[in-house]
Amino acid sequence: MAILDVHNLTTQIPTARGNLTVVDDVSFSVEQGECFGLVGESGSGKSMTVKSILGLVPAPGRVTAGSVHHGGHDLTKLPGPAMAAIRGRTIATIVQDAVSALNPVYRIGRQIAEPMLEHGLVRSRAEGRSRAIALMAKVGIPAPEKRVDDYPHQFSGGMCQRVVIATALSCDPGLILADEPTTALDVTIQDQILKLLVSLQHDLGLSLLLVTHDMGVVAQTCQRVAVMYAGQIVELVRTEDLFRKPRHPYTAGLLNCVPRLDGPARRLTPIPGAPPDLAAPPSGCRFHPRCPLAIDLCRSGTPALSEVAPGHFSRCIRQDALTADLWETADA
Amino acid sequence: MSDAALPVPAMDRGPRPPAHNWRRHSGLITGASILAVILLGSIFAGWISPYGPLEQNLRNTLQTPSWTHPFGTDNFGRDIFSRVLHAAKLDLMIGFLCVFFPWMLGIALGGIAGYFGGIADTIIMRIVDTFSAFPFLIMVIGIIAILGPGLTSLYIALTLAGWSMYARIVRAEVLVVRQSEYVLAARALGFGHLRIMFRHILPNVITPTIIFAMTDIVLVILSTTSLSFLGLGVQPPAAEWGIMISEGKGFILTAWWMVTLPGIAIVIVGLALSLFGDGVAKWLRERG
Amino acid sequence: MPEPLLQVRNLSKHYGSNRSLISRLSGAPAPRLIAVDDVSFTIGQGEIFSLVGESGSGKTTLGRTILRLIEPTSGSIIYDGTDITALDKTRLRLARRQIQMIFQDPFSSLNPRLTVRQMLGEVLHVHGIRPPEQIDSRIAELLSLVGLAPDSIDRTPRHFSGGQRQRIGIARALAVEPRFIVADEPVSAVDVSVQSQIMNLLLDLRDRLGLTLLFIAHDLSVVRYLSDRVGVMYLGRIVEIGTRDRIFAAPRHPYTQALLRAAPRPDPAHRGTEAALGGEPPSPLDPPKGCHFHTRCPRATALCRNIAPPPETVAPDHIVRCHHHDPAFA
Repeated sequence: MAILDVHNLTTQIPTARGNLTVVDDVSFSVEQGECFGLVGESGSGKSMTVKSILGLVPAPGRVTAGSVHHGGHDLTKLPGPAMAAIRGRTIATIVQDAVSALNPVYRIGRQIAEPMLEHGLVRSRAEGRSRAIALMAKVGIPAPEKRVDDYPHQFSGGMCQRVVIATALSCDPGLILADEPTTALDVTIQDQILKLLVSLQHDLGLSLLLVTHDMGVVAQTCQRVAVMYAGQIVELVRTEDLFRKPRHPYTAGLLNCVPRLDGPARRLTPIPGAPPDLAAPPSGCRFHPRCPLAIDLCRSGTPALSEVAPGHFSRCIRQDALTADLWETADA
Repeated sequence: MSDAALPVPAMDRGPRPPAHNWRRHSGLITGASILAVILLGSIFAGWISPYGPLEQNLRNTLQTPSWTHPFGTDNFGRDIFSRVLHAAKLDLMIGFLCVFFPWMLGIALGGIAGYFGGIADTIIMRIVDTFSAFPFLIMVIGIIAILGPGLTSLYIALTLAGWSMYARIVRAEVLVVRQSEYVLAARALGFGHLRIMFRHILPNVITPTIIFAMTDIVLVILSTTSLSFLGLGVQPPAAEWGIMISEGKGFILTAWWMVTLPGIAIVIVGLALSLFGDGVAKWLRERG
Repeated sequence: MPEPLLQVRNLSKHYGSNRSLISRLSGAPAPRLIAVDDVSFTIGQGEIFSLVGESGSGKTTLGRTILRLIEPTSGSIIYDGTDITALDKTRLRLARRQIQMIFQDPFSSLNPRLTVRQMLGEVLHVHGIRPPEQIDSRIAELLSLVGLAPDSIDRTPRHFSGGQRQRIGIARALAVEPRFIVADEPVSAVDVSVQSQIMNLLLDLRDRLGLTLLFIAHDLSVVRYLSDRVGVMYLGRIVEIGTRDRIFAAPRHPYTQALLRAAPRPDPAHRGTEAALGGEPPSPLDPPKGCHFHTRCPRATALCRNIAPPPETVAPDHIVRCHHHDPAFA
């Protein structure tokens, strides 16, 4: 049963240079209890997709097509108050910069309890406070009874992220949208937070939509993953299959240009060029100017996301020509 | 590294669309047009109006506005229209210079304080604090009282009363920019203090000062007319709006044009400068 | 054995030694932040030496202190036989032609008001590297050296992507023709695909121009790709230092081992459940006594809590500062 069903979601932002299609016909679903990864580089549209799901696309941008089904409703069609009732309640969000996600003038306990009070899950401040202490313990903050009355500046970056996670959990959401939750953290703290998210997901049966640029994070946490490029999903498949046999040249290129901690030290082959300008994207396949497999059909056609192997979707029409050493033989 | 910001355009993406969007900058254009008209009128006042601003005609006093005297005449028979035009030149010049001098002084001292820090910063900032402690007009009046009324005293007083705000703004901006990596790079490349200050720091801190100066001009012009009204600024018989209003206050009921028309001139120039200033500020902010 | 190009000896940087009059009079204890604590290492000619650590480790401060952009509190920095901590302003300026820096943030490391031509031209002009008529051609050479098209010469930084800006920053550093470059996390703020481009560019420049690099990073996989030798920093001290192969294949310090375990591997088949390292890094204002790492270390004993471990050589070119260093590495 899918807890989130996104169909043909399209978001556009009008600018002086033209209409930017930052989310282009994106479709995927997050199953109950699953951790689904949305991975891509800057400008790929992954953060905008999350904002579009939440109805928080900054003006003048807006969702122009598609639907987002959750709990029997289409979120793109919901009016403001109904959407606000869902945010924080059945869908919670964890953002990248935890320290600025917290209001510096309010105590931690109050901020964790605020969604509960807002959505009517607790009736008094005292009840909110005690539930906040329980949540802080759950996310691994030591001595929560003492720290519940602290202010955000008294917490480190990793602790602030735990507080944000506790706030997200406060209303027992079914789905958590995590937008690069560990990017701003040190490696050892990132490791702690990721392991925490995975264990919470198991214990509470949560579904998690994890947005990241780090392939390692995806490998360690997600069951299925969608790779985004220039606003489109270019590949969607189970995580093991993505790493074992990617079926899109961009994915293969990404995997190939990430330096490894294990294995023999070999020369990385970078993907030449840069992501396209969304105001004037390349014709046909968005990736073709940088792709070693590009042919004329790639430039003229409009490749669709199709199932090229059981449960494995790719937007590349030449994916069967994709070999393991594609990028190693291509000229850097 | 989130992609919350719009992607940076790639280098060669064809011609950029025109930067000017006339509707968006309507305030700037309106304000600038009005000011241009007034400025040109004041510069060419001699050609536009046949009467000198000081030319008295005691047989023609207190004339109502007519074709020969569009704004009427005052109690000395002077043509009010030409006085208003000549006054525009004086008031606008005072407005500009009495913002320009504090601006320069403030940038110099604020820049030194922000860049060098330490004892220079402490001394300069304490001086700024002292000057800021006085309300603007009180300080101006006080300085004029010491120096005696007159145009020079006005310049000195307005400059001394106005520079401290610019120093504060510049110092704050310099403190920020000084930490940026391109300034660090300039130091690493062995550039001297002067080059770093003038080429790397100042161009990047100027914008907020210009935005502030735009609103400051209106304040200065209003202060000038008020002080002249009180007899503390420009001295009669010079043509200046404040003086004209002061001279006309005894004739409000009989010759309303003596007070009202210079007053309207002040309002129009104030509005025009505000529109222009806001427009410039908006343009600078958008330019980044 | 040739003299190393750079020798850092007992370098320290403390903050907070200048106190206000009031705090001195009130007798309150001085807050002291020890950003760099008695650090020593050497870098050989043509080598890429990486300093790796998390935030608060002092690696950025150390990099800037080597250029004397931050003045050291004590210790010496011997570059090519000369102690640059003792140099006066004029000689320091000359030394600045030898040692340059590349910065982390592509968005704040370039003056937004200058075009590429002005930026690079300024460097060439101030140092008299080329006569005025040759400046443009030299700028074109520098741009092609870093992989930028020559028609970018009259654009301001905002027309460029992050990766391109990093290349401009590299060109600017190369303009003085240095021998030694301190690269302060130059690939941390760019996308993965651009990261590999910049890394390969640095390797190429090292080979072609005979550069020596001090590479500061927090990403271990990047460090493994680029480095010949590695130093691991924790709270101002170097806790382990050695060749790349030894550090990655046989780390001995529990912090190094934890860093390697904590890095998320792009390998779904091996998913850990336990965090590699618990606890929080201590505040540099109040560092733990003895070994700084003891608060989070699984092997900490009373000895660790009281005595800071001295450097111990465990293999040729492999030094560890731990009382209980151990090759066991899960």
